Amino acid sequence: MGKRNTIGAAVLLALFAGLPPLLHNHYLTGVFIVCAIDGIWAASWDFFSGLTGRENFGQALFIGGGAYAAAFLNGNFGLNPWFSIPAGIAVAVVFALLVGFPTLRLKGPYFALATLASAAIMQQVAINLWQYTGGSEGIYGLDTLIESSLGFYYLVLALMVATVVVLGLIARSRWGTIMRAIKGDETACQAAGINVTFYKIASLAVSAAFAGLGGVLFAHYQQAVTPDDFDVFLSISVIIMAYVGGLGTIWGAACGGILLNLMLELMRGLGEYRLWVYYVILMVVLFFMREGFVAPLWRRLRGGNA
Amino acid sequence: MLTVLIYGAVTSAVLAMLAVGFTLIFGVARILNLAHGAFYAIGAYCAYSFTALLKLPLIVSALLSVAVVAVFGMAMERVLVRPLRRSSLAVLMITLTVALTVEQVLFIAFGSQSKNVPAFVNFPINVHGVSVDGQRLLALAIAVVLIGALWLFIQRTRLGSAILAVSQDPEAAQYMGIPANRIFTIVMGLSAALAGAAGVISGPFLSVRPTMDQTAMITAFSVVIVGGLGSIPGSILAACIIGYSQTIVAFYLNPEWTGTVSLVAILLTLVLRPSGLMGRVVNA
Amino acid sequence: MRRIFPLVTSAVFAGAMAMSMPASAKPILIGLDTPIQHQVGKDTIAAVKMAVDEINAKGGVLGRKLAYVVADEGVDPQLGVSAINKLTSDDHVNVLIGGYSSGVQLAQEPHIARSKTIWLGVGAASPNITALVGKDYDKYKYIFRVNPLNSALQAKQIVDFATHVVKGQLHRDKVAILGESAVWVRGLVPVLVKGLEKNGMKVTYQQLFDESMTDFTPLFARVKDSGARYLLIILSHANSDVFVKQLYEARLPMPYGGIDVKSMTPNFCSRVDGHAVGETTVNFITRAPITKKTIPFWDKFVKENGRAPVYTAPGAYNAVYLYAWAVRKAGTTKADAVIKQLEKADYLGVGGRIKFNKLHDDIDGPGYQNLLFVQWQKDCTRAVVWPKSVATGKIVLPPWVK
Repeated sequence: MGKRNTIGAAVLLALFAGLPPLLHNHYLTGVFIVCAIDGIWAASWDFFSGLTGRENFGQALFIGGGAYAAAFLNGNFGLNPWFSIPAGIAVAVVFALLVGFPTLRLKGPYFALATLASAAIMQQVAINLWQYTGGSEGIYGLDTLIESSLGFYYLVLALMVATVVVLGLIARSRWGTIMRAIKGDETACQAAGINVTFYKIASLAVSAAFAGLGGVLFAHYQQAVTPDDFDVFLSISVIIMAYVGGLGTIWGAACGGILLNLMLELMRGLGEYRLWVYYVILMVVLFFMREGFVAPLWRRLRGGNA
Repeated sequence: MLTVLIYGAVTSAVLAMLAVGFTLIFGVARILNLAHGAFYAIGAYCAYSFTALLKLPLIVSALLSVAVVAVFGMAMERVLVRPLRRSSLAVLMITLTVALTVEQVLFIAFGSQSKNVPAFVNFPINVHGVSVDGQRLLALAIAVVLIGALWLFIQRTRLGSAILAVSQDPEAAQYMGIPANRIFTIVMGLSAALAGAAGVISGPFLSVRPTMDQTAMITAFSVVIVGGLGSIPGSILAACIIGYSQTIVAFYLNPEWTGTVSLVAILLTLVLRPSGLMGRVVNA
Repeated sequence: MRRIFPLVTSAVFAGAMAMSMPASAKPILIGLDTPIQHQVGKDTIAAVKMAVDEINAKGGVLGRKLAYVVADEGVDPQLGVSAINKLTSDDHVNVLIGGYSSGVQLAQEPHIARSKTIWLGVGAASPNITALVGKDYDKYKYIFRVNPLNSALQAKQIVDFATHVVKGQLHRDKVAILGESAVWVRGLVPVLVKGLEKNGMKVTYQQLFDESMTDFTPLFARVKDSGARYLLIILSHANSDVFVKQLYEARLPMPYGGIDVKSMTPNFCSRVDGHAVGETTVNFITRAPITKKTIPFWDKFVKENGRAPVYTAPGAYNAVYLYAWAVRKAGTTKADAVIKQLEKADYLGVGGRIKFNKLHDDIDGPGYQNLLFVQWQKDCTRAVVWPKSVATGKIVLPPWVK
């Protein structure tokens, strides 16, 4: 991974791990928890869309799938919340297979619109089947995974680091190379004998699995799920995080997730103008930094070759 | 029966006005303009501001509002979109942030409560025994006129042919001496003007609030997916199909399901014929 | 020796100062959790400011001044949960006031409970919010609802209105019901229907629709065809302005009314070009002498803010005063002691007396907080048409209905 990268990662990790207990503030710990979950989501999105270049505008489908799975098992059936993790991942993967098969053959904007529509449909289902899903009020009163907020944070932080490491390893393996090749020229890959469909669907499934994991963690942190967990705005936020972090870098996307959520929370002091300022900043970043913000910044700081 | 016919036509007309602009800019410049709903909202809020705050006469407000939106759209294209045009994701993202920013500005400037845009026609009109609100019939008429005018413009004028040429092959058009960049800006202006006009004309009978851009976008999406991205005739056809489906479901079946009609239409289209009714082949 | 003397004197002096300073110069902090971009949020803040300024001018509470800090909950559960955390764990407030969306409120409940901070709700109506107090008292005892009445009580009062006014005064006993498909409405409608039928009325048509609906004409056609002679509506997040405008366009041949949250705002009628004349909607306050405090509150709010208050404002104003009263009675801001006082409270608020039932939910009844049925009449003036004890006018038919 390179000596400088390892040092950078270690410093970052020490910072993330060390700050919350130092600050000793339940609110800030909670903010960090959501930051880490956003990091998981952004990394999961970047793994598929950043590497293959197919923009998935419906990541919320997998996030919400994981979240509602947790809510059903723990909220409706009273099962131990730890069961939610495998359940949420399974549900998200199933969604990925269901959506992936018909839509992955579509080109650019069509794939984006198809994934967006899938999440929107699921949101409508969550609202309409109110007898099971609680409708727009959602399902509330879920148990938390770990009572202490600091403990919960370390769990989420560990899982986020695991996400980045695992996805990073896959990205660096032959699998990742194939994904990048698909981004370059899919027909050539096909001609070279690669089962493109398998790799696309498998990659989407992996992306969904981690998104669903994040969804479960989110559900048990919030202790509630609502149809907002399928919302297009969530999908778009995840894309923005990955974009600002640096497409295709995975660790950059995770940092983007952490950074943007932190920014949003700390800007509460701006009152009514908070979101406006945030979007203007985003506009500036998106316009001037086509490669994102975090990853290029690190490259600059680190110096030397890529 | 006649009621459904007329109401369906009005719904379809407004859907068409939104969708045609969206599909136009995609067809010509390959831009998925996520700020399209914002154009619609700005049109409606301009109409409100000019009439209620500046007390200008209705006709003047309407024309001025459309002009403002057109200029806004062209400025956005020139300043923010053109430099990023090489990356479709970048264009998507920047238009998205424009939409989000506009929504926030509307919240801050006008508050969260809905505003009243006065209607041109304030009385019901009797059409063969069916009483329809005058403003809605006006919306139908204006939609037909504007879309028809756009169609004629593209088919019959030199500028229109230039637009067609650019939409087929921007580089070749450039070699022929057609300034592709300027064409893109003009088309964005037309697209914005249509969306703004939709906002002005339907503001009186729909809801004018800062989040109105979101409903407009979802609607536009469903129509262009079904009709085929980039095809104006496709959008018109799809608008009629979806508009009438919604009206029929509302009148004869269960009004609770009208929201799901457009989503089901999208799902069916993407599974059965992803290129839409009249779009180009889109498999990877 | 020369160095030590000033040191010692200063120390003694400082010590004397510290001991003679009032033990709690620290203000009592109110945490406002409300959607700041929406009118309900802005009015909550304005009302709290009014109450806080008034109480401080009279010397504060237990020798301490009141202060408040605001956190935005938007209409987003995630923002709401972090708002609660910020107010309780970062700002360390003594009490929480606010709320609007039931969905956000329900998500916030375990976090409020965990912080062991009293919550005085002023905006959300779902009965599920206070049901938790019954399910797990020790955990959720901090939750109180000062305003509005929960939706089940609202249903009961609508039945009263329908029986006495729609049937009694207007002699119309066939009713249609239209409402948005939110969970609280689904819970309310069966209660409503049962109550109406028990009082000799017939429900000829009922239909719920999605809150994003913008074309109500088919619904009006069905209502008309069902033979109904009064339309009961239940709208909160739905597009009321469009609904009312389209009802006017369709000239629906019957009077209508019910719950229309957006119509509570005093400028609603003018925002729909006057087309709301004839609509009767429930309100929690209006400029009428419901109690001796109502009109002074209303006029002062209008004077300070240049607009009339929406329904969360009187609730928030009451909440501040109620809390101040409870703290004075308890002699401390410690939550458990204050809760005991709140549970015994019978406090005269701006809209009626405030008293809580076993679930910490505000009760209705003569003298307590009740729904006011207010009708838009000629030139967008408003008249309270029910209950009789506070009525300021008689119900009229919409101008196009004979």
